[in-house]
Amino acid sequence: MIEETRTNKDMDEIDPATDIVETENGFFMYMDLPGVKKKDLNIDVEENVLVIAAKATKQAVDGEIFIQQEFGSGDYRRRFNLAVVVDPDNIRANLKNGVLELFLPRKNATKPRKIKVSQSD
Amino acid sequence: MVIDFGSISNLPYEFDKIFSGVFNPQQYKRRKIAYPPVNMGEDNANIYVHAEMPGIDIDDLDIAITPKDVVIKGERKLPEGRYFRQERISGIFQRIVAIHTNIDVDKASATIKDGVLLMTLPKVSSTAPKKVAVEIE
Repeated sequence: MIEETRTNKDMDEIDPATDIVETENGFFMYMDLPGVKKKDLNIDVEENVLVIAAKATKQAVDGEIFIQQEFGSGDYRRRFNLAVVVDPDNIRANLKNGVLELFLPRKNATKPRKIKVSQSD
Repeated sequence: MVIDFGSISNLPYEFDKIFSGVFNPQQYKRRKIAYPPVNMGEDNANIYVHAEMPGIDIDDLDIAITPKDVVIKGERKLPEGRYFRQERISGIFQRIVAIHTNIDVDKASATIKDGVLLMTLPKVSSTAPKKVAVEIE
């Protein structure tokens, strides 16, 4: 009897490494997505959950036989719960050299405000 | 060598990482290997070295090719600011990849695309496999 075996390395799902930097106007998110092209990247926001899914394209040159392999073409997937301070309608994304940069702006109401003090005497 | 300051500034997350490593051994294995991860392949004419290095410009890289090995040296700088979460590694790294074939150092080339470095190292013609016709008498 012949049984189907699943030894496909492409099936692995990888949590991409992510940095989040907080600024006054919002949050910058940097995500390592090596080997991902723009067309293979999907960013969705659903009820305050940000889902980033991407697929790395195969890196082999035509006719290449691998001798040593430490990384594969994989599926990247990561979910983030957005805080209520984030304005989900104005998220900007940019993919450059394998790094996805997302800017998550704060809602205007939650920005730190300076209060002017007037003096009357 | 890669200096990972994330472990100091984000200790609770480090515990999470250990737990996720236990439940996801594949991910754990990926983290433990040298940086950058390297794939190596060949065809009849060339040796190919692929290295995963997102966010690194070719100007920040120093690649030295000798007939025996390839040395990839570089520095990864991350933007400064108040980090809410830090997982990406930063700092100076170096990796030496041994090439067990004679290569033509002068014709080697390297490109970076989508955060993956590809080096093409042409084999010296004498090491390319030659077909020898065998006749049976």
